[in-house]
Amino acid sequence: MQRRTIQNLSLGGFSTPLVFIITILIFWAFSPGHRFLDPRNVAAIAKLTPDLGVVALGIGVLMICGEFDLSIASVLPTCSFIFTQLLMAGVSPFVAFVLLLPIGAVFGLINGLLVVRTGLPSFIITLSTMLFWRGIVYVASGLMPISILPYIPTGSPFAQMLTGQIGPVPVQLLWFLGIALVLGVVLHFGRLGNWIYATGSNQDAARAMGVDVRLVKIVCYMIVGSLCAFAAMMQATRLGSFAATQGIGFELKAIAAVVVGGTSLRGGVGSMVGIALGVFIIQILENGLILLRVPVFGVNTFIGLAVILFVIINNLTNRQLAGQGF
Amino acid sequence: MPLLARFRSIGVLGVLLLLVIGAAALTPQHTFIQEANLKTLLALGPEFGIIALGVGVLMVAGEFDLSVGSVLTLCGFFFIWLVGSGLNPFVAALITLVSGIAIGFVHGLVVVKARIVSFIATLGFMLTWRGLAEILTAGVVRSHNFEQYPLFTQLVTGRLGGVVPMQLIWFILFAVILYFVLQRGRFGNWIYATGDNVEAARAMAVPTDLVKLTCFMLVGFMCSFASLLQITRTAAFTTHMGTGWELQAVAAAVVGGTSLRGGRGTMVGIFLGALVIMVIDNMIGQARLPYEWTYIAFGLVILGAVLLDLAVEKQVQRATA
Amino acid sequence: MSATSSANGQELLKMVGIHKYFGRVHALRGVNFSVNRGEVVGLCGDNGAGKSTLIKVASGYHMADAGQIFFEGREVKLRSPKDARALGIETVYQEQALCPHLSIARNIFMGREPTTVLGLLDQSRMNEESMEALASMGLKLRSPHALVSALSGGQRQGVAIARAIHFRAKLVILDEPTIALSVKEVREVLDFVRHLKDQGVAAVFITHTLHHVFSVADRIVVLAHGCNLVDIRTKDTTVDELSDIIARGTLGDAAPTHKPESEAAAAALAQQATCEEDTEAEQEI
Repeated sequence: MQRRTIQNLSLGGFSTPLVFIITILIFWAFSPGHRFLDPRNVAAIAKLTPDLGVVALGIGVLMICGEFDLSIASVLPTCSFIFTQLLMAGVSPFVAFVLLLPIGAVFGLINGLLVVRTGLPSFIITLSTMLFWRGIVYVASGLMPISILPYIPTGSPFAQMLTGQIGPVPVQLLWFLGIALVLGVVLHFGRLGNWIYATGSNQDAARAMGVDVRLVKIVCYMIVGSLCAFAAMMQATRLGSFAATQGIGFELKAIAAVVVGGTSLRGGVGSMVGIALGVFIIQILENGLILLRVPVFGVNTFIGLAVILFVIINNLTNRQLAGQGF
Repeated sequence: MPLLARFRSIGVLGVLLLLVIGAAALTPQHTFIQEANLKTLLALGPEFGIIALGVGVLMVAGEFDLSVGSVLTLCGFFFIWLVGSGLNPFVAALITLVSGIAIGFVHGLVVVKARIVSFIATLGFMLTWRGLAEILTAGVVRSHNFEQYPLFTQLVTGRLGGVVPMQLIWFILFAVILYFVLQRGRFGNWIYATGDNVEAARAMAVPTDLVKLTCFMLVGFMCSFASLLQITRTAAFTTHMGTGWELQAVAAAVVGGTSLRGGRGTMVGIFLGALVIMVIDNMIGQARLPYEWTYIAFGLVILGAVLLDLAVEKQVQRATA
Repeated sequence: MSATSSANGQELLKMVGIHKYFGRVHALRGVNFSVNRGEVVGLCGDNGAGKSTLIKVASGYHMADAGQIFFEGREVKLRSPKDARALGIETVYQEQALCPHLSIARNIFMGREPTTVLGLLDQSRMNEESMEALASMGLKLRSPHALVSALSGGQRQGVAIARAIHFRAKLVILDEPTIALSVKEVREVLDFVRHLKDQGVAAVFITHTLHHVFSVADRIVVLAHGCNLVDIRTKDTTVDELSDIIARGTLGDAAPTHKPESEAAAAALAQQATCEEDTEAEQEI
C-alpha cells in the first residue's frame, strides 16, 4: 500500500516535467525579444491559467476514475449566467458564490447519474448534455454579454477575493494551487482517492472489494461541476461580465492538460502534480504560440496534435513500465 | 435478429413519418412540405447524410470519428484551392477524394497502431484539421465560379430529369452500396465481428486492424465527397463548414439503432437515422427558431435515442433470458 | 509407460523445449508437450504455471523464443493463428470465442465466409452447413439465425467446437471450457468433447478442475512455474494424487513412477531439473 501511494505521487512519469521545462525554454528562445519570460507575460499566464486550470484539476480526478466530461464547456457559461442572474436579482455576490457551488454540483450530478445509470460511454452522454446546456444558455441569454461591474465593481472585496493580488501574486493562482493541493491530498492520501484509483484501474475488482463504484463516479462528476461553477465566477469577475462564449473549447483543453500531465485515458493512472503541470504546459503552449504570431485558430492545430502525441507517449511509457514491473 | 432489426428500422421509419407530418403541420404556412423547401432539404441534406452513412459503418466496427466536420472543411479547402488554381474539376475532385482517404488512413493508423481511444484521437484531429484549414486559408474568403464546368456541376449538384437533386441520387447510391457491403458481404461480417467482439474476430483470423483502418478511410472518403457537393453548391469556402456534424452523425447512427459499443446496426437504420436528423435540422430552420435551438434539440435527440436503445436492449435480454 | 514415447506415426503435435519470455519474465522454461491423433489431453496447473502461454504458442498467438514444434511429424513455424489454423489446429477461447450480437451461422463462418459469384455472402449455404455442424455435435438449436447472446454458456461452447470440427480441425484446443458454467452445462461440454473424440479429432482440454478433465481425458499433463511437472495416463493416477501434486508444485515422494523410456523423455526430465533450479534462483532475487 505504501509503495502504491508513492507510485501515484510520481510526476506521471518522467515526461511531464521534462516537457514543461522544454516548452518554457523553446518559447523563451523563440519569442520575439524573449518576450515570453517578460514579467508582464508571466503575470498574464499566472492570471489566465487558473480559469482553465481549476476545471482541468477536476477533469483530471474524473479521468483517473475512468470517465470523461465534455459538458464543462457549457456548464461553465451556464453557471456564469446563473451567477449574473442572481446578482441582478439583488443577491450579494458572496451569497451567490456560496449558492453556486452546489448548483454546479447539481450539473455534475445529472451527468454522473446519466452515466452510471445507463452504463453508456461517458463522452457521448456528456456531449449530449454539452449541446443541451449550450442551447439553453444561448437561448436564455440571446448570446448577449451581461456586465456585472455594477454589482461587483473592480476592487470590491468580492473581486479582491477571486481576482485580486497578494503582493505580485495573482489570487487566481493561489486559488488554483490551493485547490490542487486539496484535491492532491484527497487523491493521494485519502480513502476516496484510493477508491478513485481503484475504480479507474479495475472497476470490477473495486466493486468486489466493496467500493461503491457508482457513488465514486458521481462524486467525481460533482467535483467537476462545482469547480466549473467556481471557474465561471472567477472568469466572470475577471472579465467584468457574463459571456456566452465563456469556456468554449475548455472540454478539449482540459483533456489535453490532463493527458499531457501523464494521466491515462483508460483511467487508474495519473497524479495531481502531473495534472497541475499539464495545465501550465497547455496554457504556455497557447500563450507562446500567440506570441509567435500563430493565428488564433491555428493554435488549435497544435493543441490537437499535442493531445495525440502525448497519448502516444503515455501509452509507450506505460507499456514499458508494465514490461519492467511485472 | 433479422426480425428485431426490422422492428427497429420500422420504428425509425415511424419516427421519420411522424416528424415529417409534424413538420408539415407545425411550420408556419406549412413551408416544410412546399416544393421549394423539399428541394432544399433533399439537395442540402445529403451533404450531411453521406457523411453519416460512413460514420454509422465505423460505429458498427466499434469506433468513432468526431473529426468529420473538420475533415470536410479541410477537403473543401483543398478542392476550391485546386480548382481555383486552374485544375480541371474532375482531377481536383479526384485529388480531394484521395486526400480524404489519406486523412482517414491517418486516423485509423493512430487508433489501430498507437492504440489511442478513437474518440480522443479524432477529437484531437478535429482541432488539428480545422486549425490547419484556418492557417492555410489565412482568413481569406475563397470563392470560385463553378458554372464554367457544366458537366461537373451537373453531375454533382444538378437535377436528374430536372427534378431529383443529384445529391439525393449520390446519397441513395452510397447507401445501397454500403448496404451490400455491410449486410450481405464478407467484409461486412468482419465489420460486425470486429465491433462485437474484437478478440473473437481476431482469433478467427479476421484482420480487425485492417477492418478498422478501412472504415476510417471510408469516413474520410465520405467527408471529402461531401465537401465536393458543398463547395460546388455554394461556390465558396468558409472554415465553418460542417460544425457540429460530428455529433449529428453519431446521433443519426444511434437514432437508426446502431450500438455505441459496436457490433449492432443496419444500413437501413443508419440511412433512416440520417434522414431523421436532416429533417430535424431543416425543421428548426423552417420553424424560424433561432439556430441555438439546434443544440438543445440534438442534445435531447442523442440522449433520447441512446436511452431508448438501452431500454429496448434490456427488454430483449429479459425476453431471451 | 511415458506417453511421449508413443509411436511416432501416432504423434499429431509435438512441442520440444519451448521457451517463452515476456520482458524479464520467463514464462515457459523448456516445456515439452505432445498430443496423439484422436487423443484427449488434459492440461492442468496452478495459475501462472504457463498453461495459457503454452497453448497460445500452439495456436500461433505467441511465437516461442526457443524450441521446436512438430505437426504430423514435420517441423512447423507458427507465426500467427492463421498458420495454426491452416495446419488444422483450432483454439476455442473462453468467453472470447463468439460475437454475441451475431447469428450462429455468421459466427460459425466468421473469417471464412462462403460467397456467391457476386461476392455476397452465401447465406443459404451458411445456414444449412451450420445446422449440420451443430447436429453432428448432438446440439439441436432452433435456427441458424438465433443470436449467440440468446444461447446458454454450454451451447456457446458447443457452437465454438462445432465451428472447429466443421473446418476439419485435427486438433481442438479448449481453453477453460467449463469455467463459469452450471453443472448441467459442464456435462454438455464434456459430451461435446466425447463427440470430438468419436470423430477422431484430438483435443487439449485446459482446466483448473481436475474432476472435469478426468472424465474425458486420456492423459494429463501438469505444468508448474513454466516447466513440465507430470505427464501421465489418466488410468494410471487418481484425482487426489494429482491435485496433491499441483497444490505442492513439486513431485516429491508421492510422484507416480515416471521413468524415461526414450531420449526425448530423458531430455524432458533433465530439462525439468534445470528448470527447478532456475525457479529457486529466481525466487532468491
